[in-house]
Amino acid sequence: MGLLRYTTYRLIQAIPVLIGVSILTFALANLTPGDPVRLMLQGQEADQETIERLEAQYGLDQPIHERYLTYMGGLVQGDMGHSFHRNAPVSELIANRIGPTLLLVLSAYVFALATSIPLGIIAAKRRNDPFDHVSRIVALFGVSTPSFWIGIMLILIFAVQLGWLPSSDLVYPWWSPETYGHDGYGEHFYQVIRHLLLPMIALGTLQMATLMRVERTQMIESLQGEYVKLARAYGVPERTIMRKHAFQVAQLPIITIVGLNLSTALGGSVLIEFVFDINGLGRLFYEAIIQLDYQLIMGITMIIATMFVIGVVITDIAYAYIDPRVTYGESE
Amino acid sequence: MAVGESQIGSGSEPAEKEVEPDTGWRNTARKIKQDTTARWGMYVIGFVLAITAYTLVDGNLSRLTFGTMSDFTFAEALPFFEHPERLPAPGEAETNQPPAFHADGSLSHPLGTDPNGRDYFTRIVYGAQVSVTVGIAATFLGLVGGTAVGAVAGYYGGWVDDALMRAVETVYAIPPLILIIVFTVFVSGGSPDVQFAIVGVGLAFVPVFARIIRSEVLSVREMDYIEAARAAGVKDRNIILRHVIPNSFAPVMVYATLQIGVTILIVAGLSFLGFGAQPPTPDWGEMLNTSHGYMHSNVWLSIWPGVAIMITIMGFNLFGDGLQDALDPRLED
Repeated sequence: MGLLRYTTYRLIQAIPVLIGVSILTFALANLTPGDPVRLMLQGQEADQETIERLEAQYGLDQPIHERYLTYMGGLVQGDMGHSFHRNAPVSELIANRIGPTLLLVLSAYVFALATSIPLGIIAAKRRNDPFDHVSRIVALFGVSTPSFWIGIMLILIFAVQLGWLPSSDLVYPWWSPETYGHDGYGEHFYQVIRHLLLPMIALGTLQMATLMRVERTQMIESLQGEYVKLARAYGVPERTIMRKHAFQVAQLPIITIVGLNLSTALGGSVLIEFVFDINGLGRLFYEAIIQLDYQLIMGITMIIATMFVIGVVITDIAYAYIDPRVTYGESE
Repeated sequence: MAVGESQIGSGSEPAEKEVEPDTGWRNTARKIKQDTTARWGMYVIGFVLAITAYTLVDGNLSRLTFGTMSDFTFAEALPFFEHPERLPAPGEAETNQPPAFHADGSLSHPLGTDPNGRDYFTRIVYGAQVSVTVGIAATFLGLVGGTAVGAVAGYYGGWVDDALMRAVETVYAIPPLILIIVFTVFVSGGSPDVQFAIVGVGLAFVPVFARIIRSEVLSVREMDYIEAARAAGVKDRNIILRHVIPNSFAPVMVYATLQIGVTILIVAGLSFLGFGAQPPTPDWGEMLNTSHGYMHSNVWLSIWPGVAIMITIMGFNLFGDGLQDALDPRLED
């Protein structure tokens, strides 16, 4: 099977999972004690007539399986329903908020990869010397500390105490510098980075720590591999061995973990956007939950699950592309 | 049955290092004792669990003594402690006091007081009650659910396996925090609390445990003693419960220990957003939520709950790492 066919195959495989996700979220939203209309109206008085009118408007007077099919029918056409609280289409609300979240998650990954891989390799090379010990302690702190608390501490140190960096909201690179009153693209770019720095580190630390641990273990194992011994026996320079023989193989598990950890990163973005007041998808999710805006909640859950599933598919394909041992097809 | 218990599987696979369950566990325990990391993890976990047990007893004194001690808490009888939940009278409240080592602090409140004037040290200590019990209970629930699903899927194979694994994949596709929040809020009808959080977290962690158990079961299933039990006419249910699960359990234990840390991390996030324990119950995540509004006026409030969460999780991670090293022969030099 070629790469293209493998990609198509993996994407088709993802469809049943996403249908499953839609059933699950739909079931959860309808499992609530009391009907959705009462939840929507929480705290507000409403007469029987208003309730019935709302039920008819949202199709809630129909049996659950018909409602699900109607919802799915809309979903296929890109209609994710209507937000009761905001009186706007769910898809539009999500489209407006997805940018900051993607920017945050991707930059957290860039931070995590750029730090964890070199540190992990050095730790593996200098196994059991002070550098290794320090990096293992750092990694232990990284996996044991809640990301949102790291965010709070970063704000306390760099924004409240030192006043070096801003503590809230992002500057979007896709908006023009004039919107912010910046002097040209140089300053615009500088402000983007300044605003992104703290949330990026807060969200990326857990990823950095996990990846660093895996990188270290993988490099240690890889350096003990037969092919490395053979290369050494042939007198291949140590640098070339590190770069060509040990490094490449050791990256494969990293690729898988990057994909799977997207789940933690997307969940974590809810917390980080809450701490740093970022108007992204996570923040929208939080607000939708507080308002019990159930079509919006379902829409965001679907989108986040889709992002995760697509991320895993992309990393699977990258894996198959990089690993010379994998032939596409017998993927399971 | 006698055949099943005698582990004849060992003879047929000379390549696998066969360990008898008993000596295996004893061996592991010995290795853990030798491993510095695991030992430190055990000290930290022991310390945290002791505090949790104490706060559980103190918090439920009235129930434990059939109502005779309803007005008494150890917290008020001990030095440095105060009542963890009760608000001080309006006139006497010393709000937002700094910790004792600060120039304006006093030893009567070692970590200062919160915006309501309650002793922060007491609330940090009593916060262990919710965080640790929820962490352990939810992990246990996920473990039980995951074991059931994974064992049945792995043992029967075929369409049962397919159906169960598709379901597991579906749950896995939603990031845990998102799934737990949606579950907690919807199932509680908009008023989340700890008991919903436990079930939600348990549900979200079924997939990870199911996958590990299933892959173990797939290899155990092929063992001769399972074949023998089947030939002897033992019912499937008994084979799964008495042979398959016990023999697949060791790697899951390591994972469960590490998972407790992850669970506490997630539960902290959940209550930080306000979907876990509700005030006035002392809970680390909830305290960080409150302190978020006082970041400029009282920085100390944001520090202590985070430190408590970090130490607790670190204990479980240290222990889990040590356990992994003890059980994984590949990393030995």
